[in-house]
Amino acid sequence: MGLLTDLKDSISRAASTLFSGEDPKRIGIYGPPNAGKTTLANRIARDWTGDAVGPESHIPHETRRARRKENVEIERDGKKVTIDIVDTPGVTTKVDYTEFLEHDMEKDDAVRRSREATEGVAEAMHWLREDVDGVIYVLDSTEDPFTQVNTMLIGIIESQDLPVLILANKIDLEESSVQRIRNAFPQHETTPLSALEGDNMDELYDKIAEYFG
Amino acid sequence: MPHQCTNCGRTFADGSKEMLSGCPDCSGTKFQFRPDGFDSSEAGPDDEPATGDAAPVDGSVTPESSEPADRGDAVSRTVGSAAATVRDLVGGSAAPDATDARPPSGTAAGASGSGADARGDDTGEDDIIIAESEPVDDEDLAQADARSQTADPDEVPGDGFSPATDTGSGDSDPRDDPGATTGESGATTDDAAGESGAAGATADPPAVTGDAGERSVTEEPDTERADRPDLAELREELNEQFESIRVVEPGQYELNLMELYDREEYIIALQEDGRYSIQVPETWREADV
Repeated sequence: MGLLTDLKDSISRAASTLFSGEDPKRIGIYGPPNAGKTTLANRIARDWTGDAVGPESHIPHETRRARRKENVEIERDGKKVTIDIVDTPGVTTKVDYTEFLEHDMEKDDAVRRSREATEGVAEAMHWLREDVDGVIYVLDSTEDPFTQVNTMLIGIIESQDLPVLILANKIDLEESSVQRIRNAFPQHETTPLSALEGDNMDELYDKIAEYFG
Repeated sequence: MPHQCTNCGRTFADGSKEMLSGCPDCSGTKFQFRPDGFDSSEAGPDDEPATGDAAPVDGSVTPESSEPADRGDAVSRTVGSAAATVRDLVGGSAAPDATDARPPSGTAAGASGSGADARGDDTGEDDIIIAESEPVDDEDLAQADARSQTADPDEVPGDGFSPATDTGSGDSDPRDDPGATTGESGATTDDAAGESGAAGATADPPAVTGDAGERSVTEEPDTERADRPDLAELREELNEQFESIRVVEPGQYELNLMELYDREEYIIALQEDGRYSIQVPETWREADV
């Protein structure tokens, strides 16, 4: 089994070398709701293209349709890496409109948001199945990473042999614990950052070039 | 030739409405279902008694009816969970059995018949199928008739399994379901659904048909990943819990991520009442005749 896995790895490495320099890799930004995925997508897009990807909000499920920013050229050490960024709706196993009522939302709007968020999760999962070449997995480092959603998504990503970068976002907050995320996914490297403040973005771009270049 | 009159042998294309009022040639009311690629030499002998069993009017439950229980676990599970989706989605707005006098929703009939609306009415050629959770208005007399006659409670084993015995065509022996669910292809599922639809079982969200198809299609990847016990366990646990999207009530949803990930078709839009639109994968339509 180990031999087979090794073989598969080396084939996919060879394939990725082969295909680099061709079409931009499509990188999905995944994670639970409110982890800061859109903030990160906007930060990356603004840094390298000047445009934003979509509106950000502290209310969960602001992103209810996957949004794409194409041909984001990231320059590292004189080398250019071109990726398409797909900002996906937050993945969750339950969507409940009552959660939105707490944010001063009318019931009708909350129900609609809830429905759209559910469609968004379906879309995100569908993209994961067919349309992404790599994943940036964004976690809120102030929250417990040991959740069913995280375990399952990381499991799916691993089973697909997709390159994945795990980000411990929101390190600007006091309750942030990067180590907790490292402990949860020791098989992957965790990069701490604050997408909102722009902290440690350089390291992220290095990693993007390394993983998806 | 998915449907064949057992009396005179005349065949009908899938989705044909001619057979709803009996065979135009011999007025026979028994048809057998033969999906494309079906090995007739192998299935022939089996099919003869089976079609007899499905004799609709007397409504007797023959030993054949219990056959589903003997099938592989995977199939029962697929049918069972597909049926559960019917329950869930229909139950979102009404009691499972309240819509009409059909057998309990947790039946093979409910599952395979669920695609009827979409396939029958939309001819299955569109990219998008709009699911209906209630009987469609333009149901013709033959369909209505067939559907009402299915309802004999004594035809129903009552334990959640019922072969798709429909008066209109009586062809729905339990063997159809393995064809639909043992992973031949989405097209087979469509055929089965269309067939049951022609038989008049209507009015469940076609999502279930999609489900059955998708589940069967994705069985293989599942087993391929059997070397990942954690993921497999998680998947199993979730599959047992519910289908891809469960409408608890409008605005409250429970999602089965593994199911959503495994689906080949893609849910485009949810409706308030639990209906939803799906996009059917290219391969289904190509294989669809």
